[in-house]
Amino acid sequence: MGFDYNSLLAFIIFGVTIGVVYGIVALGISLIYSGLDIVHFAHGEMYMFGAFFGLVLAVDVGLPYPIALIGAMIMTAILGMFVERVFYRKLTSAGGGYTVAGMGMIICGFGMSVALVNVAYFIWGAEAEPFAVNLDYLPRLKFSGDIEVPESYFLTAIISLVMMGGLHYFLRHTRAGLAVRAVAHNKDIAYLMGINVPLMISVIFGLSCALAAGAGVLIGPMQSVQVEMGYLMLMKAFAAAVVGGFGSLPGAILGGIMVGVFENLGAAYISPSHKDIYAFLLLILVLMFKPSGLLGVEAKVKA
Amino acid sequence: MGIVNKVYAGVIAAGIGLSATAAFAEDIRVGITMRMVSENGQAYGRMVMDEINAINESGGIHGNMIKATLMNDECKSDKGVANANKLIFQEKIHLLIGSTCSSVSLPIVDVTAKAGVPQLVPHSTNSKITQKGSEWVFRIPVSGRYYGGVNAKYVGENIGTKIAYICAADAASVGDCANMQGQIKKRFGVEPAYVADVQEKEVDFRSHMQKIKSMNVDGIMVAALAETMARALVQSYEAGIGEDVRRIGASSASNAPVPKIAGDAVKGVFFSAAYAASDTRPIAKLFNEMVKTRYGIHAPDHDFSQAYDLVRIMEMAMKNADLKLDSGSLDADRTALRDAIASVEGYQGLASGPISFCAAATPQCRDGNRTAVLIGYTKGGENFETEVLARVTMEPDFGLE
Repeated sequence: MGFDYNSLLAFIIFGVTIGVVYGIVALGISLIYSGLDIVHFAHGEMYMFGAFFGLVLAVDVGLPYPIALIGAMIMTAILGMFVERVFYRKLTSAGGGYTVAGMGMIICGFGMSVALVNVAYFIWGAEAEPFAVNLDYLPRLKFSGDIEVPESYFLTAIISLVMMGGLHYFLRHTRAGLAVRAVAHNKDIAYLMGINVPLMISVIFGLSCALAAGAGVLIGPMQSVQVEMGYLMLMKAFAAAVVGGFGSLPGAILGGIMVGVFENLGAAYISPSHKDIYAFLLLILVLMFKPSGLLGVEAKVKA
Repeated sequence: MGIVNKVYAGVIAAGIGLSATAAFAEDIRVGITMRMVSENGQAYGRMVMDEINAINESGGIHGNMIKATLMNDECKSDKGVANANKLIFQEKIHLLIGSTCSSVSLPIVDVTAKAGVPQLVPHSTNSKITQKGSEWVFRIPVSGRYYGGVNAKYVGENIGTKIAYICAADAASVGDCANMQGQIKKRFGVEPAYVADVQEKEVDFRSHMQKIKSMNVDGIMVAALAETMARALVQSYEAGIGEDVRRIGASSASNAPVPKIAGDAVKGVFFSAAYAASDTRPIAKLFNEMVKTRYGIHAPDHDFSQAYDLVRIMEMAMKNADLKLDSGSLDADRTALRDAIASVEGYQGLASGPISFCAAATPQCRDGNRTAVLIGYTKGGENFETEVLARVTMEPDFGLE
């Protein structure tokens, strides 16, 4: 029996669809890192909250899925900005990276992660909730060899690409985006140039959390929604961000897709029982040969 | 410290000791450790406590009250063992009920065996629980070795033997998968077409389903905890695997989150369990009504029925045991309670078959219920519906060879 190229194609397609979702979450992590020099360990919980907000809007309130997606992104952005303003601001304004405040921020992120999980337990309970949305109006992609891509996967890929495009446009073609990039480059100089740095930091947090929420709402119909869903996604997104180059936005997308495809191919051709290992195996391989990640900049100290 | 102070301290310490002992005397102390993180888990925890309170309100056990302490182990073995140790060594319980999860019940068997405390297992199905040789453990539910036999027989004779397996890493699912594979091999001489060992809370089954789809199997067995199973069922349809490939669930398929999360994907799934909500016996109808009225549960699964049967068996044993319940009788009372449970024979309750125990510390004696009922889902969602496909009683030593 010859090699089954159809199955290979299917595994790659499924890998890309989940990979773009990893990429979106990684994009948020990279955005926060590039802006504040901190790693946000509560980002998985933003993804979880976004999924629950989407569930409430789509299933309980009855809004159309795309409206629920946008609503969840806005709500999570507000939540992210609130968390940043109330809990993180003192630490983020004192500096990130290798400073004491930077270490404090990492620990604070862990604490926030635990706190948010418990808040979610209190609100929604521990049971997984089905995120049933009717996507029958969308086409089911069919490839040769009896390969079908379900509607939800197709939608995930399309919306993810739209979100990435939107972020790219915002950062490259708007004044606010320019201000965000200036803050990411150097906060002190940005401040001297008249940019409202605290506001831009809030914008960065809001944007990143909105992206995580978008990923959560996209994953919801595929995997159901539950309070503990954030942890594994965070790990995969971290792997994606590091593989692509921490702080690099295109790198986050590339890393996400690579992680998604790599783990699917590993599961298919090596051992399906150890699917989650492959993402981190890829991470180790990339770090061995290019420690800054595939599209990362080789700099120890930022400008 | 002067001699007078030493005397005072001694008197006070003795007083505290005596008052603590007095507080323990006369109550029959029961410790319960269960998974209570879901709506259903909390409901059957409450049901056990309510049933114990009802016994107390009707006069207790020969005038002695049952003092129950309910703890949540979250289906985590470390928490379950910590709960068991606290209940046994601090609360000085006479009887332990627990746990809901096999992965928790398994290590607790060692704790109760060492401490000499009778343990009634309410839901855990892993065969090894009673194969450890503890003389203190009694299982109310049907053992996984019986489920495996019933499933294998039905699948092999009605569906086919080319079966793919998705097996989650929790102890019950590992056991269910192994039992089913073993029985298919033994009865029909067929190896599994595909086996995937996945994490307990796996969320993405697409690569497995794609491979399974290309294999043209007769059936897919999904052995996992409820939420994981539901996801796998949904994704099997998303991958384009048709209805003609039958989905076989482990006993956890009876848990309400499966039809709720899986929705239409649960239709046609069948599994073995110890109780069917579609049971037409008057006792079952009354029970369903009671659970619905008291706890708002649409259709109780076997976790509820087994918890209810357990309390009835516990009550019978307590009434039959010669309990002294004084400050020096704890060990003797535990032994008396164990012997009383071991003498339960032919208890007819909600369970799919009679429950009997005997004295020997063997699985034949300690797996109380040998009758599995084969159930199929006919409708998914919150208001799911099931039908009984078959009811099979196995020999005591089935699956032990």
